[in-house]
Amino acid sequence: MSPALAASLFRGTLVASRWRITLTIACIALGVALGGAVHTVHTSALAEIDRSARVLAGAADLEVRGPSSGFDDALFASIAALPELAASNPVVDVSVATVAGQGLRVLGIDAFRAVAMQPAFVASAASTGSGRVATLLDGDALWLSPAAAARLAIGAGAKLPLMATGGAREFVVAGVLPGLDNAGEVVVMDIAAAQQHFGRIGRLSRIDLRLRAGADPARAQAAVAALLPAGVLVSRAASISGRAAELTRAYRVNLDALALVALATGAFLVFSTLALQAARRRQEFALLRALGVTRGGITAMLAMEGAALGATGAVIGTMLGLAGSRLLLSGSGADLGAGYFSGQSGTFAPDALVLAGIALLGIGMSVAGAAWVARAVNRMHVSEALRDRTVELPGNPHSSGRLALLLAVAGVPLLFLPPIGGLPAAGYAAVALWLAAAIASVGPACRVALGLWSPQGTVASLALAQVRQLPGHLAASVAGIVVSASLCVAMVIMVFSFRVTLTDWLTGVVGADLYARAAPSGEAYFTADDSARIATLPGIASVEALRYDRLAIEGSVAPLSLVARPIDARILSGFQAEPREMPEPGTLPHVWISEAARDLHGWKAGERIELPIAGKKVPVQVAGVVRDYARTWGAVLIADGDYRRLTGDTRANDLAIHLAPQADPPRVQAAMRTALTHLPSLQIEEAGEIRRRSLEIFDRSFAVTYALEAVAIVIGLAGVTSSFAALAWSRKREFGVLRFLGLTRGEILRMIAAEGAAAGTLGAAIGLVAGAAISLVLLHVINRQSFHWSLELHWPLGALAILVAGIVGACALGARVSGTFAIRHEAILAVKDDA
Amino acid sequence: MLRIRGLAKSYGAGPALLDNLELEVAAGEWVAIVGESGSGKSTLLNIVAGLDRPDRGEVLLEGRALDFGDDDALALWRRRNVGFVFQAFHLLPYLTVAQNVALPLALLGVAPRERLARAAALLEGVGLASAGERRPGTLSGGELQRAAIARALANSPRLLIADEPTGNLDEANASGVLDCLAGAVRQAGAAALMVTHSPVAAARADRVLRLSGGVLR
Repeated sequence: MSPALAASLFRGTLVASRWRITLTIACIALGVALGGAVHTVHTSALAEIDRSARVLAGAADLEVRGPSSGFDDALFASIAALPELAASNPVVDVSVATVAGQGLRVLGIDAFRAVAMQPAFVASAASTGSGRVATLLDGDALWLSPAAAARLAIGAGAKLPLMATGGAREFVVAGVLPGLDNAGEVVVMDIAAAQQHFGRIGRLSRIDLRLRAGADPARAQAAVAALLPAGVLVSRAASISGRAAELTRAYRVNLDALALVALATGAFLVFSTLALQAARRRQEFALLRALGVTRGGITAMLAMEGAALGATGAVIGTMLGLAGSRLLLSGSGADLGAGYFSGQSGTFAPDALVLAGIALLGIGMSVAGAAWVARAVNRMHVSEALRDRTVELPGNPHSSGRLALLLAVAGVPLLFLPPIGGLPAAGYAAVALWLAAAIASVGPACRVALGLWSPQGTVASLALAQVRQLPGHLAASVAGIVVSASLCVAMVIMVFSFRVTLTDWLTGVVGADLYARAAPSGEAYFTADDSARIATLPGIASVEALRYDRLAIEGSVAPLSLVARPIDARILSGFQAEPREMPEPGTLPHVWISEAARDLHGWKAGERIELPIAGKKVPVQVAGVVRDYARTWGAVLIADGDYRRLTGDTRANDLAIHLAPQADPPRVQAAMRTALTHLPSLQIEEAGEIRRRSLEIFDRSFAVTYALEAVAIVIGLAGVTSSFAALAWSRKREFGVLRFLGLTRGEILRMIAAEGAAAGTLGAAIGLVAGAAISLVLLHVINRQSFHWSLELHWPLGALAILVAGIVGACALGARVSGTFAIRHEAILAVKDDA
Repeated sequence: MLRIRGLAKSYGAGPALLDNLELEVAAGEWVAIVGESGSGKSTLLNIVAGLDRPDRGEVLLEGRALDFGDDDALALWRRRNVGFVFQAFHLLPYLTVAQNVALPLALLGVAPRERLARAAALLEGVGLASAGERRPGTLSGGELQRAAIARALANSPRLLIADEPTGNLDEANASGVLDCLAGAVRQAGAAALMVTHSPVAAARADRVLRLSGGVLR
């Protein structure tokens, strides 16, 4: 068949079904837009991180990094002397709080060395707007990046009080460095001043290195590594963006997968629309076959129609996705709720290749749907179809039960496969197979379920008879409901289970009455004296000091969090440790590792491992495994006494305060503020508030997930409504006969609504079963392999009941609304319609 | 049984399709209406069946006038009083033949066992005793129309309306269907109104009227 003929036939279909075709294209566009927007937001965030990292790294080839508490600055001299290096620059990189409680990144640099690698760190008076040539050697001078100046709304000459060691200290803004325009919000000062004021005397955060021309990078890196103590690592510079990409990969992939669900549901709508059109064009296809068009020609024609719908939707969707992501980035930034990209703002950086891939996926899904419809069309008997005006396509009912079983069974072994590249690819594949199984089960499941239903009343009986037939196009739209309902049910169960598990964990872990932090953000500390003073205040039964650090582990993308705190049976119970009992004292310090640390580093309970603490490889004994939902990349708990003995560090980041019985929390808080006046940014919170805020963050992190699921449901319902509209149109003659026989309009509409409700109930029921199965995959495979969390299954019965009722109600309403147009006065004329 | 008085109907600004039409049909009488295409035959049937509203006039069945203002009341009236035979048969494809015949009884709330028993008896009466469990798609045209006649008799109608009942049938089948229809009219004792283009079909009726210029002659 010539493309021109196929196009003219399709044009006729377009004109006859323009609203349905428009709805189909809109759903494809929505799916493509969502996938494109989510990906573009994340790509833009990573691009911004990359740009910022490159600006700060300047011409550095390598960087030396250690734990968040820093490493010995004596290391610098030995490294700088290496012959492979042309330049080396020591850096103190600390997060500091303003007196107002805002967090700021402060870089302490050696100006003379830094300028060799990043000239933007030093500038003349003319380019900074400063009245004089202030130098970075002034101990109280700060230089701001343009972004920092804008956020703080200050400029050269302003005073900026920051929380320093020993209390608040006022610094002077010497100027703004325009060369750091893309560096994010950064404050630059002299390194010695940074060490002195922010508790880093004798410590460095990083050393940037530039290689001599012609030096072998691998050899140079090895030479540097040989000088480093435990917990201090050398890597290529500006790898922070790569680390960010690695850290967020599981989250981004999960969100991309959800967005693609919306696309897949939209593609289903294409399939159901084409199936419906094919059923109505049954005689047209029969005529074409009679005139000599081959089966391949019919397939090509339908594939072309599917491609046209998919391409139109993909183009519109891509444009919408780009516009939407641009709007989102400029409005609220790149954080879609989970906090991975909080603070990243609106640098728009779409990945053309990926967007093209998403568009092609939409087109491909549409073409695949069309090809599937063509299979049914090519099965029809031409001679019968020429005579018969039945609006139906021949199905192949007996195979779908076997196919459903095969697909379901094929998914099972995938559940036991390990992650690939850190991603639960086999888990995703299992979900896809089980979804396909659910779709394939629609026909036989309907036959079984409807065989059990024997309604009373003529109207309901007529509805049952119609649904029992379950024409191919109706089955396709029910399958669309199955897809979106399955995934919605799975996500509802998974998120509810996660929330209940998290709530239980928070209750155990946030077990004190009050929690105090020296400043809401930045690195501010309580000294041992502070802790002792608080412990003596009236109303306070006990105080636990909590100290955090981040350890650099060789070969690991992300640092390992170290949490030093008092540990007893109550704490182990709160963290849901395995085993729960306190170990017998031994020769080595005991540590408890999180599930993520266990999975990522291969450690297990009872094992002897070495941790880089205080610049040394410290042998420790793994006493057990704990749950930790706060740190995705692994954590280690160590008793505070062991930590102090190993490091000599007596500071605390947080204080957990247990109140005496009958103590008045507000009075205790007031007493604490009076006792700690040198900490003007002191933050005190009740445990309930912390737990509430944690759950708020949790809910926000899933907001995008819920939005994507809602879109998938809407697309699925649009498919059902569209299918019922077409079905009602094709049954005008039947409705006319029923009106002749004495059915009222209301009874016919009730019949149609009952059919819609039956289809919705079937779709929701199958979706419920499939969704429950998929939720187990999400909980125990995908989440486990992506984020290394153990979660308990909890059933949100109320939410599921509301979801199912909503789907059934929406289907009934959609069918009824569609039927209203089909039973107008003209329906009577359809009885005489010979077309 | 059926009385039509002063019926008038027009569409748009054109001449009246029905113009002060008068008709009386007695119980058990079979009246055939012939006329050219577009003369208003179908319009007349639709009005008599309560599916269209006349501009003027009234339709009375057993002395009771149809209330053209109440759509639901008309539907209920059809359910209880009217049997239809269509040119294109119009059996529902997803019901068996017996279920199709029993459908009017189902609408009247007759119990399932009783209505299927009556459907079986009606099918036997039209020579389709063994076709009850078959689907309409497996029947020939003549068989379909006989099944449709059985359905038309199911609610013991007072008024039987046949719109081109032999229009889609060959001569042999048409003859069989007309025999069936004649029997049905006698059996029901209803007033029967048939629209047809076929002189053969018209000749079987008790009275033949021509619709022309909006009136019956």
